[in-house]
Amino acid sequence: MTDKYDVAVIGGGPAGLAAAIAAERAGARVLLIEREARLGGILKQCVHDGFGLVRFGEKLAGPEYAERFLTQLRGTGVEVTPQTFVDEISPLKGPRADRVPPPTGFQLKLVSAKGMRNVRAKSVILATGCRERTARQVAIHGTRPAGIFTAGSAQYYTNILGQLPAKRCVILGSGDIGLIMARRLTLEGARVLGVYEAKPIPSGLPRNIAQCLHDFDIPLHLSKTVTRVFGHARLEAVEISDVDGVMRPIPGTQERVACDALILSVGLIPENELAEALGVALHPVTKGPVCDQNGMTSVPGVFSCGNAAHVNDLVDYVSESGETAGRAAAHYAMNNSQFTMNHYASLSVDDSFLYAMPQRIHLREPVDEITVFFRSREERGKTRFTARLGNEMILNKNYRQLRPPEMERLTVPLEGAELKPGDVIALEMEEMA
Amino acid sequence: MNIEKINKELAKRFGAEKYSVKARREHLVLEGESGDWQEIVAAGYLAAKHTGKLPGCLVNDVKYLDYEQPAMRMPSIQDDSLEGATPDVLIIGGGVVGCAIARELSRWRLDVLLVDKECDVALHSSSRNDGMIHPGLDIHKSSQKYKYNKLGNAMYEQICAELQVPFTREGQYLCFPKKLPSFLLYLTKLYWRYLDVPSRVLRRKELFGILPGLQADLGSALFFPTAGSVCPYSLTIAYAENAIQNGARVSLSTAVLGMDVTEENGRQRIKAVRTNRGTIRPALVINAAGVFCEDIAAMAGDRFFSIHPRRGTNSILDKKISDSVSRYHASTLMTGHAKGAHTKGGGVIRTVHDNLLLGPNAVESPEKEDFTTSPESIKTVFDKQAKTSERLNQGQIITYFTGVRAATFEEDFVIRPGLYTENIIHAAGIQSPGLTAAPAIGAALADWVAQRLKPAPNEAFNPIRPAIVNAAALPDEERDALIKQNPDYGVILCRCEQVSRGEIVAALRRPLSCDSVDGVKRRVRAGMGRCQGGFCGPLVAQEIAKELRIPLERVRRSGEGSELLYGSIKDTEVTS
Repeated sequence: MTDKYDVAVIGGGPAGLAAAIAAERAGARVLLIEREARLGGILKQCVHDGFGLVRFGEKLAGPEYAERFLTQLRGTGVEVTPQTFVDEISPLKGPRADRVPPPTGFQLKLVSAKGMRNVRAKSVILATGCRERTARQVAIHGTRPAGIFTAGSAQYYTNILGQLPAKRCVILGSGDIGLIMARRLTLEGARVLGVYEAKPIPSGLPRNIAQCLHDFDIPLHLSKTVTRVFGHARLEAVEISDVDGVMRPIPGTQERVACDALILSVGLIPENELAEALGVALHPVTKGPVCDQNGMTSVPGVFSCGNAAHVNDLVDYVSESGETAGRAAAHYAMNNSQFTMNHYASLSVDDSFLYAMPQRIHLREPVDEITVFFRSREERGKTRFTARLGNEMILNKNYRQLRPPEMERLTVPLEGAELKPGDVIALEMEEMA
Repeated sequence: MNIEKINKELAKRFGAEKYSVKARREHLVLEGESGDWQEIVAAGYLAAKHTGKLPGCLVNDVKYLDYEQPAMRMPSIQDDSLEGATPDVLIIGGGVVGCAIARELSRWRLDVLLVDKECDVALHSSSRNDGMIHPGLDIHKSSQKYKYNKLGNAMYEQICAELQVPFTREGQYLCFPKKLPSFLLYLTKLYWRYLDVPSRVLRRKELFGILPGLQADLGSALFFPTAGSVCPYSLTIAYAENAIQNGARVSLSTAVLGMDVTEENGRQRIKAVRTNRGTIRPALVINAAGVFCEDIAAMAGDRFFSIHPRRGTNSILDKKISDSVSRYHASTLMTGHAKGAHTKGGGVIRTVHDNLLLGPNAVESPEKEDFTTSPESIKTVFDKQAKTSERLNQGQIITYFTGVRAATFEEDFVIRPGLYTENIIHAAGIQSPGLTAAPAIGAALADWVAQRLKPAPNEAFNPIRPAIVNAAALPDEERDALIKQNPDYGVILCRCEQVSRGEIVAALRRPLSCDSVDGVKRRVRAGMGRCQGGFCGPLVAQEIAKELRIPLERVRRSGEGSELLYGSIKDTEVTS
């Protein structure tokens, strides 16, 4: 027997929770699939506060933030299947992105302690989050001792298992989780010798640099990286080198720092193995699917949100993208017979952007406005942001400062722009005096 | 063989009186001193060219100046669990060769004890190679390598079926530049025929049909259908488990410290073998100690060969790239840029688990347990292999590792009874194609032992070693039935490789003990994927703690001293 749903949400972290709730409220029959035993995703291990400032106007701890959504979820009819793994996902018709007609739905093969189960859904939301870049992916060489952890694993050991993974550690990378862990481990009595960042500017949010490093006298060393590790059984030391302008280690600058752990906060990669299996086109910079303003990917009926779409710095935006995708997926599920391909305008960005989301705009229904998220490629001072359609200026906005770690969100009004398929909205930045 | 002639050659090449060779009993000894390891190796090769007619090989006694070989890494445990043991056969070394010998010996009613100093089998070369089953392309027909490679290669289907280890035989492609006239390839067929290696010439069109990701400047290839691929540590573990199943004993964390050797009527005999776990009095000793085989031979008074360690680094790539580089098949590619001659070592291999593996390179270095990696070695391999396939780049790497090959100066295996000591048999100098040869070495040594000790057959011998079930590979109905029987098989803990809790628990309950995160990883692949255990590491650690009833802070990544954690944050004292 195959169970049928309108919307299947894969992943029960902040994006998936918001998506499932929104889809159900829009009238869809929703299945929420979570591989862990408990919902909440990575929020479960984020015991620090700072979540929800944008959304709730208050600073919540990760589990508290998740609880707000779990409370809402309990009031819905969303069916939750925890500790369930999506083994396979396949379109029911129209197997590839560029084929017409679009798939009429998707078949999902699920594995759980209850056995194998096949379900069908008219649309699918990929809310699979991201994974951490590993030591090998940043080319750490030397021996293979215990004591090298990604920041997320160290956080799991500390906050979920209540175990100390380090007594005297070095943190490589100034991503937010690394900064948070610098403070967390210090609070638990470990000595954090320093945070080393290969780039000339930190990757994490300024508030985390201030609250997690400065307040605890933890030094931040820029343009330095770990080039080698020592120790056979347990880590004994790391070798730190200065790096040049293109982040290559400079020979002769090595120094050896004795430590028992190396904690890596060197980047997150959206998890899109299921998206790839569905033939979803991925964006080279975000590493997430190319999406329209509703989070729909290049495969009709497949939606992406949260950190699976692109890595966010605030959970508030993750929830927002989940809600957008949830509503749209419900709408699609209930009206997909009317869906038309090739009704797209697109957004283009110049070199000053790292990326902008969404990459395209679906025009089947009137579009009054779209929400755009973007990151600057470099740290910039006063900058004018403009959105143009041909020669016509749609929006301009001045920023006092733009920094790659901080994602910007803004609403671009499109009422009256009369977008046609093939139109390109060009986003540009220019320096202001 | 003329000692004076060798010494003249040595003097001519390296300077007067720097190195000298002399005959000692039935082998040669190279003496001298130098501060240049590469030169010492070169001198060794030169001298070893002349050992062919001697029963022994070249022993390197050159003093390498300003260098001290680090002491062999030792288990710290001291007990008397083996004190007074009197096995018929003591096998030293739990690599694929030692474990294959143990398994083959378990066909007989013999008391077989295998010891290894590490906390698991296959921790040195047997988990640090490319897993290739060689067709035997570049080995002299008169060598032991040739003999055992040929025999071993042919045994793989049966041994892997019996031990339930994945094995693929998809052939090897030796690719040549377009500008090389293809009749030359046909000419080389004479050589392959002489070596008795099946081969076929693939023209460009056919080649690119099979291997679409190749670089455009490649033209044609030789295809060797007998090449295959196996997971080397899976095979080693399976051999060890099957040996135990059939009555052999395996004692891990057991290092051989020395031997008592007596001499009677000009023949030496090992009376006792001292270990950190007691003194063993075996009737017969088998030296399968890998890179330490020379040290074991020396303890036995039977040092008639030398090892010069050769390091090699392999990289493993994300499975995603396997499809786009070589979608339909291909277990191996090798480049043939160097004037049509193939380059030994270093290829692109599709592992039995569908990852691409690149490597290894080859670096002479005196240290026997230097498993460190370096950016340079990865770069060497990539620069070379990028010539074969344009789609390869370092961004696809998920992990890399270094192995140390136990090369003799003759570059051949030393598989023979002791030269000066009568109750030892050497399976020494084993390097590529040692994995291919291992089943044949195991069978041959078991035969020799049987001839010598004349044991009765082990009537209860069961050649089948039941593998840990791979739930994700089962058809849906069977997988569903398995989960209904044991729900743990439906709880996926390693998402990248789809490994369930059921499999992880099973790995902890095998005949050969396994109690570390890496041990679990080698048995069921939890942590082998692209996140490299970032997600499942803590979950596997919890399963180990639960199953072994130990606190989490005692769970180790690998051997002793590799505990992951320092204990509860509530009561950990930190002094800094």
